[in-house]
This record gives sequence, structure tokens and C-alpha cells, in this order.
Amino acid sequence: MTDTRDSPQSDDSNGREDRTTATDSRAERFRSSSGLRADGGRETTESDRAAIFEGSQDAELDRGPFQQWAANSIENPERVYRGMFYVAAIFFLFTTLFPFYWLLMVALTPEGQLQDIIFTPNGFNPGAFIEVFQVIPFHWYVFNSFVIATASTILVLVVGSLAGYAFGRLEFPGKTPLLLLVLVISFFPPAAFFIPLNDLFNTSFFMLEPITGDGTLYNTPGAMVLPLSAIFMPLAIFILTTFYAQIPDGLEDAARVEGTTRLGALFRVIIPLSAPGVATAGVLTFIAVYNEFFFSFLMTDGQPQNWAPILEGILAYQGQYEVMYNLMAAASIIGVIPVAILVVVAQEKIVSGLTAGALKE
Amino acid sequence: MARVRLENITKRYGEETAVDGISLEVEDGEFVTFVGPSGCGKSTTMETVAGLTQPSEGDVYIGDDKVTKLAPKDRGVAMVFQNIALFPHMDVYENISFGLRLRKYDDEEVRRRVEQAADIVQLEGMLDRMPAEMSGGQQQRVGIARAIVRNPDVFLMDEPLANLDAKLRVHMRTELQRLHRELNATIIYVTHDQAEAMTMSNRIAVLNDGKLQQIAPPLVCYNEPTNLFVAGFIGSPSMNFAEGELDENGVQTPNFHIELDPATVPNASVGDAVTLGVRPEDVHLSAYADSLNQPTAPIDARSDVLEPMGDEVFVYLLLAEDAERTMDEDPASSSGQLLMSVTPDTDIEAEQDVDVVLDRSKIHLFDTETGDALTHDITDQSEREPGTTATEADS
Repeated sequence: MTDTRDSPQSDDSNGREDRTTATDSRAERFRSSSGLRADGGRETTESDRAAIFEGSQDAELDRGPFQQWAANSIENPERVYRGMFYVAAIFFLFTTLFPFYWLLMVALTPEGQLQDIIFTPNGFNPGAFIEVFQVIPFHWYVFNSFVIATASTILVLVVGSLAGYAFGRLEFPGKTPLLLLVLVISFFPPAAFFIPLNDLFNTSFFMLEPITGDGTLYNTPGAMVLPLSAIFMPLAIFILTTFYAQIPDGLEDAARVEGTTRLGALFRVIIPLSAPGVATAGVLTFIAVYNEFFFSFLMTDGQPQNWAPILEGILAYQGQYEVMYNLMAAASIIGVIPVAILVVVAQEKIVSGLTAGALKE
Repeated sequence: MARVRLENITKRYGEETAVDGISLEVEDGEFVTFVGPSGCGKSTTMETVAGLTQPSEGDVYIGDDKVTKLAPKDRGVAMVFQNIALFPHMDVYENISFGLRLRKYDDEEVRRRVEQAADIVQLEGMLDRMPAEMSGGQQQRVGIARAIVRNPDVFLMDEPLANLDAKLRVHMRTELQRLHRELNATIIYVTHDQAEAMTMSNRIAVLNDGKLQQIAPPLVCYNEPTNLFVAGFIGSPSMNFAEGELDENGVQTPNFHIELDPATVPNASVGDAVTLGVRPEDVHLSAYADSLNQPTAPIDARSDVLEPMGDEVFVYLLLAEDAERTMDEDPASSSGQLLMSVTPDTDIEAEQDVDVVLDRSKIHLFDTETGDALTHDITDQSEREPGTTATEADS
């Protein structure tokens, strides 16, 4: 971005220089030609004109450093913008990355020396990254979280795609009120749903017995996938609606005439062409579910075999008599890795997705 | 290939009636063009044939089957779109084979048919390109290949040439005609360009305001338009019209009088308001009157502007001294002006007084109120059979 803006800028300044030199030489030619006439009055006008050309340089000599800086900034605002960009970028990088740096320092410091970390680890204990798996089956928690987040993402994308298709491409009575209703539901604090849901998930249902054993959803992935999907669904619906609405009708018509149903056209043409939007909605949902605290903490009893997510794993290093902060830190870093990989892989699509959604052609 | 029959197709959007009771039949292997100004319902009518739009009333038959309720994919139709509508995420091969792959043809058969279709539209060696890498004409050829590869019963073409540049459009016009001949296909073609309609079709269906005005071979539409709208729409530049009244001696318009026996005009009596229509090429300088079978009496006029087109010259004539030069899109249709087309070697200049005659055998009379054609020929001896081949939509 800065590159493309830079090059025309430098072109422009070059052009300006060329122009000034051209004017100077023209003025010089003019002066010499008027000199031939030996006309005193004319000579004065020429020197006046030259003074105008040199005026700006003369004025600069009177300025103090701050004034000069201000004048330079006005003349060349690009430099200031670039400076501001670096300041802001460094600030954001620092606030985002420093916690990870600090986590790493805590993880590497041996237990018992945690009080005296300044900016480097107080000792060096990389074994903590292995110890986390030895103390508790941490990988199991990671797996649980991964399954729950993946299932929620798939559910959100499938249902959200159908809703997005209806809201984005069909005309039906009550469309706007329905869309607003979806939005309103997303305004409720998730905690408001917790007590009734927890009650529901602890109720035994006859038809669930073959699946969950005791007929309740408590201690199953369903207890987290269902509410979390519902909570993050509105955002996905909004993103997908915007994208699907932008696919030209002609493409869907062509697919339908060629041999798909409306649903077939959605999956074969509209979704592939909205890949950035689908990736954005998917990644945002995945991260949100993976990081979710409230339902993840309360919908299981915290045992890995009962689908307790990564959060419970990290808290499991907290015993009755001691808290193994270094292992918690190491586990946290390990827990971030899947999401980090996902974001890096999908990054290009997400960025174009987030911006393309905003700019309607 | 199959016949297509529309029965009383009506489409309403809320209060608006987009298509109003259209009934017509397209024969097996026929090339029929729906033509009309924008918003006349021609595209909507075609969409009801494709199944993309459900008609509010009426039925669509393809072959002998009623397909009104069938999904587009089950109707055996293929469509070529105005905006081309190639799938941008698929290469040419995938685009053309899309329908075949959905129907689970085996790979060899798919390849064979795609190559054959690509051959017909001259796209050899471009099968692995993406649509974005191709020119508009190539893209539209892919669109046509995608339609022919499935060997459909009916081709629907919705202004397929509208987005191409003028030169390519003329070229593709001939290609489509060749394609029609080679495939012997039933084609329904939608356009607002009457030149496309005239040059390609077996029959033209002229639509206006959601109603079928006339369905007839191009030259019948041209020579025997069934009403004022068809007369004005078909032909470029369009027909001259002069509103007048039928009196005992003939037709009196504000600027000239044409003699005729009012009894010979069917469905009209003395005192009726009639509109006289004559095409620019049927207006002649009186110096050439001898070459005509039955010229009218000379009409005083003054040439205003000349438009040399190369093969002919359009002369805008003012009939009255104070005739207003209108800035209408269609100057020939305003009374007081007359558009004449002459050969380039004709001796005529702008701002010159001239006498012109009209070819009586080419004069059309219309009922001004209803717009219906009364006669297409006012020669004295010959028999007049107005619009026998023309079908009236709303009778």
C-alpha cells in the first residue's frame, strides 16, 4: 500500500523539480535576451521576478527547528503520515505481542523463581512445555476444544449459509424484521441463557439415551456446540448475507438452468465465489468458540473424558495447595498454536473478506 | 428438439403486470425472436419458459409436456445470458461441462461432447483458460458452447449479443444463424434490437406493454405491420406517420391530402380519425414518379437536413412553412416532417423546395384510436387483404 502510494508521490516531486528547473532556465534565457536590449527598466522587472523565485528559500533561513519541521510537514505530509503509521503500528504490536512475550517468560522460568521475572526468564526451563502433558492429559483437552470449535463452525456455516442465502438473495415478506430479530438476539448477554440451558441440558430425554447414555446433554460436546453456535450465528449470518447478496443473479440462473436446484447453486456457485466471506465467518466463529469461557467452564464437570475444553485443562494446573503458573503459561502458549496456524493459513482470505464485505460494488 | 407453446402467460409483480396474456407457439426447429422496447415483458416471458420465473397465470408446454411447475433443470432448456454468466471460478472446460457433470455423464463422454461443442463455436485450445482471461466475444462463445453441449430441446437466448461491441455483434449474428442451421435447433431469442430480430429469425414476436403485438415472419412484420406500434418499431429509420381524417375523397392530413375511395378502406367510415404511415424508402421525388405504379399527387415540401449514409441518403423534409423541427428521438413520426430515403446520386440539396410523391401500394392506414392497421395498400384496382398473416394478440 505504502509502496504504491510512494511511487507516484516521488514521480510527482520529480516532476515538480523538473518544472522549477525549466522555469529557472526560461527565466535565465529571458534575462539574457532582455540584457541584449540594454533596457534599464526591463532589467529591474527581471530581477524582481528572480526574487520571487528565490523567495521561499530566503524565508526558510529565518525559521527555528520546530517551525522548520512544521513547514516541512505541511510541504510533505506523506512523511508525517508514515511516521504516524509506524508509531501506531509499534504501539499495537507492543500491546498485542507483549502478553505473549510475558507468557513465554513465565513458562520458561522454573517453578519457585516466578517472583523475580523482569524482562528475561529467571532461569531456563523449556521442559515445562513437556511437563504440561505429563501432569495432566492436556492434549485431550486441546482435542476436545478442537472438536467443539470445528463442529460449531461447520454448524454455523451450514445454517448461516442457508439463512444468508434467504436474506441475501430472496424477497419475502417480513425479511427486514426477521433480520433485525436475529440481530436483537445477538445483543443478549450469553449468561442470560445459561440457567435455562443448563437446566435443559441436565434434563433426561428418552431419545438421547442411545447417544449420551443417561439421556442428558451435560458432559457432551452438544452442551457447548449448540449454545455457542446459536450465540455466534448472527454474526456469521450478517457476513454471509452481505456476500451472497453480491453474487449476480445471472450466475445462479445459469446454474439452475444447467441442472442444479437452488440449493445446488448455493453450494456449487455462490459459496465458492464467496470464499473470502465464508472463510471470515468460519475463522471468526472458530476462534470465538475455541476461546469461549462461560459455557465451556460450566457445561461439563471438567474431566477430559467428558469433553472438557482447553480452558479446563489450563485451570487444572491450579491445585488446592499450589498453582503451577509456569505450566499454565506453557499450556496457554500451546493452546494458541492451532488458532495461530488457522489464522496464518486463512489470513489472506480473511483480510479480503473483512474489507470486501464493507465495500459493496 | 421440440415445440414450445405458451398459453395465456401472465406475470404480475404486485400491481404491475409485466406480461399480459401471451399465447404463441414456436415450431420445432424454428428461430423465433421476441423483440420490443425495454420493459415490454420479453425477458420475463422467456424466464417463464426457462422456469426461472413462475407465471401468475397460464401454462408453458415444451414438446407435448406441460412444464409450468417443473424446475429449470428438468425442462430440457439451455440458456445464453446477456451478462454471459460464466462461472468465474471455473475454467472454460469446467464451465462447458458443468451441466454434463451434474448429470453424471462419464468422463470420456463429457470430454468428447465438450470438445465437439468447443469445435462448433471455434474455441479449440482455449479449454483451460479462465473466463477472466478471455475477450467478451470469446466468453459469449463459451456461454453458447455451454448451452449446446447438453443438446437441449430448446435454446433460450436473452440478448446474448447486447454486451458485445458493434463489429463483434454483427459477426456473432451470422455465427448464430450458422449454428441454428447446423443444429436445426428450436431457438427463442430475446432482443430489443430490431435489426437483430429482422436478420436472424424465422418469425418475430413483437411485444409491447406485456402484450403480443404481432408474430410473423420478419418481412410480414415489415410490410404488413398489424398496428401502429409494430409499424413504428420495425424498420430503421422508422415509418413516417401523419395523423388525419378519412373524408369522402380520401385522407386529409394537416399538410397534404391523399385521394382514395373511403369505401375501399375496411373497418373505417368517413369521418374516422386515421393515421397514414409510409416508410422513408416509399417517399420519392416527383421527378421519379414515372417509375412508380401508382404515385400519389405531388406534395409540396422543403428539404431540411441531409444525412448521407453511403449507400443511401436520408432527407428530412418539412411539409409546411412553419413546420416545427421537433427534437424528438423519432423526428419522422411528427406530422409536418417527412423522412425520405433516396439513392446517393439523387440531385437534391438541403434547403431546397421539392415535390415528393408517395407509393400508393406502400401506404399504410391505421385507426388512430385503436392503432390497428386498416390497410397496407391503397392502389385502386388491387384487392386489399390487410394483415391476413398477422395474428392479433388481444382479440
